[in-house]
Amino acid sequence: MRNSEPESPVSSMRDPLSAVNVPADLAQVFEALRPDLLRFAHWLARDRAIAEDIVQESLLRAWRSREGLKELSAARAWLLTIIRREHARLYERKRLELVSIDEVADGHGAPRQPEPDGDLMTLHHAIMKLPLEYREPLVLQVLGGFSTEEISRELALSSTAVLTRLFRARNKLRVLCGLQAAPDVNGGEVEA
Amino acid sequence: MTCDEARLQIGAEPGASAAALEEHLGSCAACRQFRDEMRALDANIRRVMEQSPEPQPARPLPAPPRVWRRPPAWRPWALAASVVFAVFAVLAVWLLRPSDSLARDVVAHVQAEPESLLAQEQVSTQDIDAALRSAGVQLDTTPDTVTYAQSCWLRGHYVPHLVVQTSHGPVTVLLLRHERPSGRRAFQEDGMSGVLVPSGQGSIAVLARGGAGVEQLAQVMQQDVHWLPDGR
Repeated sequence: MRNSEPESPVSSMRDPLSAVNVPADLAQVFEALRPDLLRFAHWLARDRAIAEDIVQESLLRAWRSREGLKELSAARAWLLTIIRREHARLYERKRLELVSIDEVADGHGAPRQPEPDGDLMTLHHAIMKLPLEYREPLVLQVLGGFSTEEISRELALSSTAVLTRLFRARNKLRVLCGLQAAPDVNGGEVEA
Repeated sequence: MTCDEARLQIGAEPGASAAALEEHLGSCAACRQFRDEMRALDANIRRVMEQSPEPQPARPLPAPPRVWRRPPAWRPWALAASVVFAVFAVLAVWLLRPSDSLARDVVAHVQAEPESLLAQEQVSTQDIDAALRSAGVQLDTTPDTVTYAQSCWLRGHYVPHLVVQTSHGPVTVLLLRHERPSGRRAFQEDGMSGVLVPSGQGSIAVLARGGAGVEQLAQVMQQDVHWLPDGR
C-alpha cells in the first residue's frame, strides 16, 4: 500500500513516449514544479523543514527512476505520488517528533505570510488540525488535482471510502470554521 | 437522490454537477444552500492551500569541525631549521652589506679610479714612500708587487691608495688614518668584496673584485702598517 515501492502512475498511460524521448531538461521540469511539490509536502507534513527534506528525497528518487516517466506532461502527478509515498514512508519509518499543532498552524516560527482575512487564518488552522486520513485525500484533490478514482488508487481505498473521507474532511472544516455541521453520511454528526 | 446522498457528493466534490444531483437541488433548498456554503468553503480551502509556504531560509552550513591533528614529528625540526636559516640569512646580509658609508665611499673611490686596477708596472719604492708619507704612514715591509700608489683625497683627508698584485689578481689597499671602525667588518658592494680592519688609531681597507686575496693581504698590512705621530 503506502509503503510499496513507488510505481509510476503514468507508466501505463496511452501514447507513451519512450524513455529516451524524455527531454534532457527533466531537471528543469523538476525545478519548475518544486514550489508545487513543496506546497504539497508542506500540507502533508505540516512542517516546512520536513517538507523540504521530503521534496529533496523525492526528487532524488524520481531522478533515479526517471525511466518510469513515459510522458513529460505527467511529471507533476508522478512527482506528487512519489512525494506522498515518501511522506508516508518517512511517517512510518520515523516516529517524528511531536510538535504542537497550534505552533504548526501558526507557521512554526517561520515568517508568516500576511493574512488579511481572519477567516482564512482560521481555515488554515483547521486544515492543519485535520487528521491525516482526512487531510491527505483533501490535499490530493485540491492541490494535486487528483480525481476520486485516482485518489482511491493512491490510497488503496474504495471510491465510496474516498468520497466519505472527503465529505468528512470538509464537514470538519465547516465545524472548525464555525458553520453548522452537516449530518454525517452514516447518520451521526462528525466530531469537531 | 436523497439529501444524504446529495450532501455526500457535495461534500466530497463541491464543484461536481451530476444530473441526478442537479435534479435533487432543483427541489431541495437546504441542499442548495449546503452546496453554496461548501463551494464557498472549498474556494477558501483552495486559496489557503495554494498559498506558497515561504521559501525555507537557507540553512547555514554547519561550520566544518575543527579537527586538531597532532603535528608531524618533523615539524619542530623544520621550524628550527627555518629559524636557523633565517638567522643565517639575516647575518649574511648584515655581514655582506656595505657596512657603512665608509665602505661605500671606499668602493666608490676605487671604481672612480679604474686605471688603478689596470696598472701593471711596478711602482718604485720612492713613489710608494711618497704616497705613504703624506698620510703619516709607514710600512715595515714594502711589497714589491705594488702597481699603483697614490695619495688620494677621501672623506676630507689624503689617504694612501695602493694596488698590490697577488696570485689572485690586483688587491686595493687604502690606509685610513682618520677612520676608526668599531670592529672588523666585511662588506660587498657592486661586485667588490673587502674588509675594514681597525689598525692603531685608524683602519685599513682591503678590497678586490670578487674578494680573492683580500684576507691574506689584510693580515699582512695589519702587521706592517705603522701610523707616524706626525701624520696629517
